[in-house]
Amino acid sequence: MRYHLVMAYTIEAQNLVKTFTVNESGKGLLGAVKALFSTKKRIIHAVENISFNIGQGEFAGYVGENGAGKSTTIKMLTGILVPSGGVARVNGVVPYENRRENSKNIGVVFGQRTQLWWDLPVRESFEILRVIYRVSKGDFDASMAHLSKGLGLDGLLEMPVRKLSLGQRMRCDIAASLIHRPAVLFLDEPTIGLDVLAKENIRSFLRELNAKDGTTIILTTHDMNDIEQLCKRIIILDKGRIVHDGPTDELKKKFPHDKIIEVDFEREVAALPLVPELEPIRRDGKKMWLRHANGSSGLALAIGKLASLYPVKDLSVREPSVELIVRSIYEKTAALPAFAQGEKAAE
Amino acid sequence: MNHTVFGKFAAVSFQKEITYRFDYFMAVLNGFLYIFIFTALWRALYAQGASVGNFTAASLTGYAVVAMVIRISFSMDDTTIAQKVRDGSIATDLIRPVSFFMMNLAQCIGFSAFHTAARGVPILIFSIFLFKLNIPFTAQGMAFGALSLVMGYLILFMLNYLFGLIAFWVIEVFPFQLMKYGLLNLLGGSVIPVDLFPPFMKPFLTLLPFQHIFYTPAAILVGHATPERALIMLGEQAVWVFIMGAASLLAWNAGKDRLVIQGG
Ligand SMILES: Nc1ncnc2c1ncn2[C@@H]1O[C@H](COP(=O)(O)OP(=O)(O)OP(=O)(O)O)[C@@H](O)[C@H]1O
Ligand SMILES: [Mg+2]
Repeated sequence: MRYHLVMAYTIEAQNLVKTFTVNESGKGLLGAVKALFSTKKRIIHAVENISFNIGQGEFAGYVGENGAGKSTTIKMLTGILVPSGGVARVNGVVPYENRRENSKNIGVVFGQRTQLWWDLPVRESFEILRVIYRVSKGDFDASMAHLSKGLGLDGLLEMPVRKLSLGQRMRCDIAASLIHRPAVLFLDEPTIGLDVLAKENIRSFLRELNAKDGTTIILTTHDMNDIEQLCKRIIILDKGRIVHDGPTDELKKKFPHDKIIEVDFEREVAALPLVPELEPIRRDGKKMWLRHANGSSGLALAIGKLASLYPVKDLSVREPSVELIVRSIYEKTAALPAFAQGEKAAE
Repeated sequence: MNHTVFGKFAAVSFQKEITYRFDYFMAVLNGFLYIFIFTALWRALYAQGASVGNFTAASLTGYAVVAMVIRISFSMDDTTIAQKVRDGSIATDLIRPVSFFMMNLAQCIGFSAFHTAARGVPILIFSIFLFKLNIPFTAQGMAFGALSLVMGYLILFMLNYLFGLIAFWVIEVFPFQLMKYGLLNLLGGSVIPVDLFPPFMKPFLTLLPFQHIFYTPAAILVGHATPERALIMLGEQAVWVFIMGAASLLAWNAGKDRLVIQGG
């Protein structure tokens, strides 16, 4: 890889902050006017001092629990929300100051809503976008052929958007965001609510888009398989702060010798004080995920102890998945000491 | 925004109105109903010997029809901005390289074009025969009238736009909309020609843009305003177009930085 003297990043976020002020809005005209001058305000810190740089051609996963601030960050980077503090730059442009300028260079998919015209056939929505982004007929036809093949749009183009299934609509929405061949693509939960096959289709399309066209992509998702399969880099957000930022495989290497034991108990078990070598990292009803450091040595013994001392119904041993690692990072209270130990062990 | 994009937005909005006009006949009927009510009302007042400004019975009927037809033709969907802010779909508009103002104007024109063609024009033609209207169509009157219609349309559009932008500040915009409807009905001239207001109302008429929306174009078109008076009215309209334009720009610039995109 060759480095230029001045390394310009495609996406830069410097100390981004977004706070929402919520004031109690009363009923009617009087209430609405009162709310304008209300002093009773609640401050919500959606994003607190976030910084990261994403280089050209990177495919970064942006994850965090519900309400962590992912969408808020994406809104600031796409120029539709003004930060309360800090600076953002996309392709060197400050998005919320030059919204229209910025929008020419980016593609955006908000998985929760469509950017297509609800009543029009998909093809017509694409045609409107072609005119809006001033794409020539020739370029448009070339793009469409490519997108239609990659996303399997045949047969969907003549349908009105409102008649599409969620998965079909999402494919069309992704195509719509790419009609003008943007250098940067923002995807806010593009796989939400899709079945395994539909997710797989979208993933392989995005993988190719990133590899062949060099499109820089930020992807937010709750599906860690998306991240594991697509994103070389993962940024983890917790309550508005970045708690981890690094290569995805490194995250796994943090626990090179760990094994995860998935246990079904006969009844709910609160803690496992008698088997201290198995550390609970997640609980879901009667199900529990336990971490065993030191790889396989002593694993059989620990499992034997567990099975004889607690009402185990079923168990299986696995490698730690990104899902579990990320979860253990979210659930700091229980998992942070272990995580810190893991880091030390890895060094 | 170039004219192709503008035309596209207008065409889509026109088309959408066609597909959603199940209530078309009701709307036409409704338009007629209004015209019948007001013309009947004015005729009744004349029959009572009331003096109605400097209108004659015939010219007032003409005015009532034309003003109502303008109002029908100037149909606008004034709830979209607030709706889009409320459900966050305004995000979709803002991720595109288009001016929000121009996009709304284009869509508004498409919407009104449908109502003009589908309701305004048929109702006008039918009413001319029904009421045996004698509107003195002169070339100058038509030219002034057309100019006045364009400016009246822009003023109403920007009024709706400004009231729509209130949603950037407050969640509950309905009370403001009610206030706007009230003022528009009272002062706009579609119900009562503004010459009929008592003198103490004059400041309200002058200091607010409402009379220039329906009254001015209608008065010019039916020849109620003399050519000299028409010129002055056109000048006043132009001032209001400028004021409303400046206000729209200022409100947008102030509002866009505090707009909170909901959802996601
Ligand atoms: N318009 C708003 N007004 C007030 N608070 C808001 C607003 N939008 C977001 N928030 C708050 O900001 C925080 C971050 O929200 P955000 O939508 O960015 O989360 P997210 O990471 O995208 O979550 P999810 O995974 O559920 O989509 C939340 O606590 C949310 O309640
Ligand atoms: Mg979100």
